[in-house]
Amino acid sequence: MSPLLKRILLVIPTLLLVSMVIFSLLAILPGDPVTAILGQEATPEAALALRAQLGLDDPLYLQYGRWLAGVLHGDLGRSFIDHTPVIDALKQRLPVTIELALGSFIVAILIAVPAGIMAATRPRGVANYFSTLVALFGMSVPHFWLGMMFIVLFAVKLGWLPASGYVPLSEDWRANLAAMCMPMLATGLRESAILMRMVRSSLLEVLNEDYIRTAFSKGLRDSQVVIGHALRNALIPVVTASGLMVSGLLGGLVITESIFGIPGMGKMIVDAIFQRDYVMVQGGVLAAALMVVLVNLVVDVLYSIIDPRIAK
Amino acid sequence: MNKPLPLFQRLFPQLVGAGILTVLATSAACAAVINISLDDDPGKLDPSQSSMIVERMVYQSIFDKLVDLDENGKIVPMLVQRWTVSDDQKTYTLYLQKGVKFQDGTPFNAKAVEFNLLRGQEQKSLRRNELKYIKQITVVDDSTIRLELSVPFAPFMSILTDRAGMMSSPAAVKKYGDDYVNNPVGTGPFIYKGRLKGASITLEKNPHYWQAGLPKADGISYKIMSDVNVAFNNLRSGQVDITNRFPYKEITNIAAAANYGVINQPSLGFRGFYLNTAKPPFDKPEVRQAIDLLIDRNAIAKVVYNGAVAASHSPFSKAQFAHGEADAPPKPDVARAKALLKAAGKEAGFNFRLTLPTTPYEAQVGQMIQGMLRPAGISVTLEKAELSTQIESGKAGTYEALFVGWSGRPDPDQNIYDFAVTNGSLNYSKFGNKEVDDLLQQARLEGNEAKRKVLYDQAMQLLVKDVPYIYLNHDNVLFGIAKSIKGFRYVPDGVIRTATLVK
Repeated sequence: MSPLLKRILLVIPTLLLVSMVIFSLLAILPGDPVTAILGQEATPEAALALRAQLGLDDPLYLQYGRWLAGVLHGDLGRSFIDHTPVIDALKQRLPVTIELALGSFIVAILIAVPAGIMAATRPRGVANYFSTLVALFGMSVPHFWLGMMFIVLFAVKLGWLPASGYVPLSEDWRANLAAMCMPMLATGLRESAILMRMVRSSLLEVLNEDYIRTAFSKGLRDSQVVIGHALRNALIPVVTASGLMVSGLLGGLVITESIFGIPGMGKMIVDAIFQRDYVMVQGGVLAAALMVVLVNLVVDVLYSIIDPRIAK
Repeated sequence: MNKPLPLFQRLFPQLVGAGILTVLATSAACAAVINISLDDDPGKLDPSQSSMIVERMVYQSIFDKLVDLDENGKIVPMLVQRWTVSDDQKTYTLYLQKGVKFQDGTPFNAKAVEFNLLRGQEQKSLRRNELKYIKQITVVDDSTIRLELSVPFAPFMSILTDRAGMMSSPAAVKKYGDDYVNNPVGTGPFIYKGRLKGASITLEKNPHYWQAGLPKADGISYKIMSDVNVAFNNLRSGQVDITNRFPYKEITNIAAAANYGVINQPSLGFRGFYLNTAKPPFDKPEVRQAIDLLIDRNAIAKVVYNGAVAASHSPFSKAQFAHGEADAPPKPDVARAKALLKAAGKEAGFNFRLTLPTTPYEAQVGQMIQGMLRPAGISVTLEKAELSTQIESGKAGTYEALFVGWSGRPDPDQNIYDFAVTNGSLNYSKFGNKEVDDLLQQARLEGNEAKRKVLYDQAMQLLVKDVPYIYLNHDNVLFGIAKSIKGFRYVPDGVIRTATLVK
């Protein structure tokens, strides 16, 4: 069996395990879902009726079995709160999160790779000190603060961008980009700090290799050596870090989403947890887990493209 | 030498012009849509299923109620033109507005009212408790309906000013079934157009609204902004016209604000914490009185809430007719509190757990209380819990002290009865006093406001001695509002009436 196929088949038990863990965690959370849904003024009869309707009286394995059977038939269930199908909620939220994650990632790459290269090739130059400073800043500053500062600067003081408010890409791509610009920048800046340090250290290591010295002695230009010979070999750890980063971003950026009013997965899952909307949490986490598994798959494929020795 | 300009430079003036025109066109088109930020995403758009305070904001625009509240908290006609109450407070006859239509074109009449009230009494309805006293509904004619209550219940009309009195289109309810929560249809000034869960709810002007000249705006856009500072920055940048929360710390800077102001008026609610009278240490009234005497409410109101609350000692704010002397908080008195503790055999002090909501402000209140009780040797362990967990421990009586407030209702009965009466549904203190029960019951039978106030005053005199609940403050209705918005009307229930708003 090819390694790739093996990886793909492993997705199934992984997702199954994730769903079981989430189901058990939800069951031991303090707070009854019926109280969370009905609130302070519920009558005991209403609580009883809702409990029966949601099937919460059944033993856990039965509840899980019912949910799993539904999923296998392509039915993720309906929200406890407003009865909308979970699949519809995912269709709305997932593209938002993917857009935010990819956008942030692109921002991070655009900053990290050039800055990392500059820092590595001129270890005693101004660029190195400057990019180290930026990296340190990016890692130390909480991104909710950075997000807020962006809003104050670009929306309140300068009035260039909307302070928040999401518009779907399909409705108006310009308004969408205007709204997504700041969250992508705020998240991308922070992520770029980690990535930049990765590029720098990995590249520094490679630049000390014998074949690089050979390349220089052949009379190649700096840029040819760095981009043509060194960078590719330095990319493996960077791709690993990027994979982890994108997985993290796809799980949802709860704080960024809250600050910029973006209806993504992170906020959906957190809200659902607070409302004890179990079915929604299950669906959301399953989708997030699927995304993470897919990203890992892509990372594996990328490894073998960058370094064909790995595929063998 | 005349060199031809590059294409971009040649086109630049046109591009800028086109850009400006687009911006102007968009802003002109959007000018009459009022943007209101909400701190939470409404779960269900069906008043019979509503359990969140914030949902009322959206309902207010979609649904009319049988009766409404005015600026002074008085009940005024809405879909009910006038009403009569029998002397025994048991029979209510409602005379309805004629010619009103639901947004789907079906007529609003006595049959529709009957449908809605029966629906509110169904087992799965969350309005069941509020409407439980309706024994019989008689449709007299198309615009008259008579309601017989099983017991005399003076607060009845006030209940119809809120969700229980909101009228849904029977045709729409039948058409959508369980999915009506996502397809609300009322008689209100704005029609539900759609929502982007977690982001916004869009409403459009109801062109056939029955009140002449209303609504003034072309539409309402509710935007979900869970962070108060984010909402505030949106107000500053002009993207939001009204915010349903306002950062307390910004109240002091309001004079310097160029394009927005603040509404800071009494609400109907109260904040404070229950003391579990069923188990030690709060089974002794002296201990409860000591706690009551040690807390400096004015300090909390100033330090934590920056004046956006009124320090209190009763469930009745200034916006309610039952507001009386009992609401004035006592002066903190450590010596007297110590004497009371001694009488209860607790002179060595004790420790108790105070369960707080997860919000940062309440955490601060908890810390202040810790400091205020320390001089009497009382140490407080602070605990945080979500509302649902709090409600459960309240019902089960497993807590020691429990910080749960109440958003308030227009009639005083709804702010005190279930909280203080023996075995009341919100009596988490597990407190009981026969005299209090009798007084609160009498107040339900009495139709006259002045006489009811006397009864509530008497009940409060007993309650300030028994102290089953430590009242801390009445939170204010606190909105940020753009100066460009006209027609705003403050109503003490804290719900924004959108029909009259204009930008």
